[in-house]
Amino acid sequence: MEIAKGIEIIDGLPVLYASGLNAIICTDLHLGYEGVMADKGTFLPKANLRNIKKTIKAAVEKTKADRIIVDGDIKNEFSKVHIEEFNEFHEFVTFLRNELKIKAITLIKGNHDNFIDQYKKPLGIEVFEQEALIGGFLFFHGEELPRSKDGTMLIMGHMHPAITLLNGLGIREKLKCFLVGEMRDRRKVIVVPAMNYFAEGVGVNTEDVSKMAPVFNKMLDVDKMEAYCVGEGETLDFGSIRELRDVGFK
Amino acid sequence: MIEFYKQPFTAQESLESLNPFVRKWFAGRYKEPTPPQRYSFKLIKEGKNLLITAPTGSGKTFSAFMAVISDLMNLAIAEKLEEKIYCIYISPLRALNNDIYRNLSVPLEEIYKDISIPVKRITAGIRTGDTPQRDRQRMLAHPPNILVTTPESLAILINSPKFAENMKNVKYMIVDELHELANNKRGVHLSLSVERLAEQIGHDFVRVGLGATMHPLEEGARFIAGYKDEKTERDCYIIDATWDKKMDYTAMSPVKDLINASDESIENAIYSTLDGIIKKNRTTLIFTNTRSGTERVVYNLMKRYNYGEDSIAAHHGSLSREVRLGVEELLKKGSLKAAVSSTSLELGIDIGTIDNVIQIGSPKSVSRAIQRIGRSGHSFNDVARGEVIVTNRDDLIECSVMLDAAKKRHLDSGTAPKNALDVLAQHIVGMSQVKKWGIDEAFLTIKKAYPYHSLERQDFIALLEYLSGMYVGLESRRVYAKIWYDEKEKAFGRRGRLTRLIYFLNIGTIPDEVAIDVMTMDNKWIGSIEEEFLSRLKPGDVFVLAGKPYRFESSKVMKAYVTPAPGQIPTIPPWYSEQLPLSYELALEIGDFRKRFSKALQDAGVGKRKLTAFKKRSKKVPEWRKILDGMPMDENAKNSTYTYFAEQLLYTGIVPNDKMILIEKTNDPENEKNLMIFHSLYGRRVNDALSRILGILVGDLYQADVAININDNGFVIATAEDIDIGKKEMEALMAELIDSDPERILKANVRRTEMMRRRFRYAAARSFMILRNYKGKKISVRKQQINSQFILKAAEEISPNFPIIKETYREIMEDVMDLPRTKEVIKGIRKGDIRYKAIETDVPSPFSHNIIAQGASDVIMMKDRRRHLRELHQLVMKKIGKKL
Repeated sequence: MEIAKGIEIIDGLPVLYASGLNAIICTDLHLGYEGVMADKGTFLPKANLRNIKKTIKAAVEKTKADRIIVDGDIKNEFSKVHIEEFNEFHEFVTFLRNELKIKAITLIKGNHDNFIDQYKKPLGIEVFEQEALIGGFLFFHGEELPRSKDGTMLIMGHMHPAITLLNGLGIREKLKCFLVGEMRDRRKVIVVPAMNYFAEGVGVNTEDVSKMAPVFNKMLDVDKMEAYCVGEGETLDFGSIRELRDVGFK
Repeated sequence: MIEFYKQPFTAQESLESLNPFVRKWFAGRYKEPTPPQRYSFKLIKEGKNLLITAPTGSGKTFSAFMAVISDLMNLAIAEKLEEKIYCIYISPLRALNNDIYRNLSVPLEEIYKDISIPVKRITAGIRTGDTPQRDRQRMLAHPPNILVTTPESLAILINSPKFAENMKNVKYMIVDELHELANNKRGVHLSLSVERLAEQIGHDFVRVGLGATMHPLEEGARFIAGYKDEKTERDCYIIDATWDKKMDYTAMSPVKDLINASDESIENAIYSTLDGIIKKNRTTLIFTNTRSGTERVVYNLMKRYNYGEDSIAAHHGSLSREVRLGVEELLKKGSLKAAVSSTSLELGIDIGTIDNVIQIGSPKSVSRAIQRIGRSGHSFNDVARGEVIVTNRDDLIECSVMLDAAKKRHLDSGTAPKNALDVLAQHIVGMSQVKKWGIDEAFLTIKKAYPYHSLERQDFIALLEYLSGMYVGLESRRVYAKIWYDEKEKAFGRRGRLTRLIYFLNIGTIPDEVAIDVMTMDNKWIGSIEEEFLSRLKPGDVFVLAGKPYRFESSKVMKAYVTPAPGQIPTIPPWYSEQLPLSYELALEIGDFRKRFSKALQDAGVGKRKLTAFKKRSKKVPEWRKILDGMPMDENAKNSTYTYFAEQLLYTGIVPNDKMILIEKTNDPENEKNLMIFHSLYGRRVNDALSRILGILVGDLYQADVAININDNGFVIATAEDIDIGKKEMEALMAELIDSDPERILKANVRRTEMMRRRFRYAAARSFMILRNYKGKKISVRKQQINSQFILKAAEEISPNFPIIKETYREIMEDVMDLPRTKEVIKGIRKGDIRYKAIETDVPSPFSHNIIAQGASDVIMMKDRRRHLRELHQLVMKKIGKKL
């Protein structure tokens, strides 16, 4: 589904494709998540990396992309490198290179990525602090405000966007979604949903998003954004956040 | 062999079996042995395992303790009494332990008064979660001869190598309040601890189970006795002295016409009735069914009738030990007018003399009703008096029939969960800490516990694999593995230093009671609330705890901060904890009453004429009046019963009963849903199964998601507005039900229910997959609360037979639902013994009001996910479009 010139949502996946860069774009992988959680007493079965690989593989097969841009939070822990994170991170990079033949790996550093610098050389990864202008798109993780005034379109992660709905039986459900809209300065913007298997997402129509990312609502009005929900095999436009709130989903 | 022992020994025979000094003390204090004691003194002396059921106040605990003390006295006189534990006494309640310990101290002190020669003292000690560290250390060095403890503390003690040394001589294991343990996972947990202890010390001991009545008693006996080896049950005698206490009880309706009275007037009448009874008596004990109910009653009695804190008090498990002990002391002194309790005062805690017991709302089981009412009366020989105040229309019928069943000694049945893998997981971790085990020897030890006698070897092995971290890659096992396991060597044992602590800090079977501490802003502990309740609180909400209103301010890591809000009206209603289910047996009795009573009404012409018949007293007493007069009900209750049935007859012409399922189709315009109400009277566990089978069939037929609401008296199947099930479709649906294989349908679809997710989380916590406490730190609710759906999905990716998933299915299929009886009901429908009738109503009929308004809800997601998203999309588009 084309969102703007040169950028599309790959149907049914939480992944974008930028044709001009021949790159897939994803965010918030939180590799090593289960290991970190196990250290805190919740022994989750491993599922995150396996499912991320499956998703990325499907995206690459569909688009023939040879580049990947991760818009932040490739790993989970803030303060240190957990051994499980390193193992999974290493396995992931190897998988991208060897199995998917990805030529370039770009990482926009998020709040969870402070260790990555020491590996960028040995693993050949391009790393940017918080934001980077690539091919006319301004990638920024979202934890801080974007500084650059350049770029025709902004691409953000960090939020784990989802919408909360009441289904036909009046039961609450959360759907992971892309948010698409315009900054107050008229540049286009997309917020990309999280890849993490265990992340339920933040209900942007029900929760206070300004507490989670400063860009709301200083530079961007979430109400005016359009929610594209990611389902199995397809992605559907669910209308704007304001419309959802107006009909009672709030 | 399990056998009833029906002929008591004479008083003399019984007394003669005791040591002379013990006998002398006993004879000086009591007139004669009570009924249970006339069996137990001699049988325990002979080394027999026993199950003794008798009411509170019947000298039940002493029936076991006297025999034990007598034996220890013999040892002491022969100078063979060592500083070791000879007897372990277990009760499910800490409060009860304190009492038992005190009561035990009396004979242990007084017996020695008359002995002139120097004889070693028999000692007793208490060990619970409340025991201070200093006392624990002392107990380790100087163990008591009789140890009073709880199931959880026992599980910890057998894992302490030093303490285990003190238990080498154990000769007696007494389990009190067995009826509270023999039908749930907590008891299952205990059964394994007991077998582990026997294995550890290398010899068996005399097992004595004490309790209020249970049904079938043989189950209780098997539970306490266990198995000698692979095949043979241990012998056990059953002594049933349940019915030796006289009781008098009535079901009361607070208002004359319960059906047409407003909620407010019913509530007012309940409190004024309570006040009346309290004022008439010296001390009244009031039981509610939930802790929050207890809080509400105390709060309202204080507010409405000016009772002070010195005259009325709450007593339940969420209150601090000091508060509870204080209330018990006041009761013993006789200075309280009333105490209100959920369950904690139901068991044998010594509370002095109670004149009257009031139960508010159905206690859901005949045995429980008897147990509670049996707490009143000055002595065992006095008549116990009790009233059950009913709170709504179905409660009215249920309580009346229940008390009638108690008169006829009809009991509801229960049984222990079998082969629960989550509980076993905890014990395997515990066992691995003690020594290196050969798989066969461990398997046999486990199978000696009655609830695990039929355990499959492959399930045991799967648990070893899970606990040794085989479900993650080798490099992660360092973190995941809780035991060491070698497949080739067929052995398992200890691994990791942290595991010991995991076992100690996370043991137990009640993770759903992960309690949130409620604190004042200056960090004073007030009590605790359930996790689920916290999730519903918004800052500013006022709720009642310990009889006083508090305003919720904020929450932080397992704590809720509040400020006192005196005089404020609570804004949050009580939280819904899972209530006890109505049993199959009692449901059938209710069904039978409905059938007889409605037929008598119809014979008298009610349903055709207006509702004045009740007031007219003709000379000849009509049959329906005779039925009511034969029941333990007050006049208000009789009047309300009449009105309830008459209105249903007038409205639909049918009163559903155990042989007639009424299916009522109606709608709920406010919520845009279609409702099908099944008046199905076979108890909650059958309704739990039947509702889901039908829900699955409906969902499958229409490729739709279905919501259900399950109640003791029926269930509701709700579908979205656009799915309209007409008469013809209903016939087809019932035809499909009749031909269905319930087990297959449920197994294939339980995964689609919400219940599966919730239960999986609990099972995961019990299996040490999600810890409450790790590395000495309590884990925040938020951290624990990763959406269980994702955890379940991840576990399924490993294997659909992953032990925790398997246990979740088992629990649902065997403990939550009653499949054998569900099949019986379906067979009854097929054969025509049970009829059904489908009707349509504009407004739900009188008998369906509670089925809609109360109960436990669940959702069955039958649509495929792709279609589900599309339909959600359509729904949203329609809504948005409508507005444009």
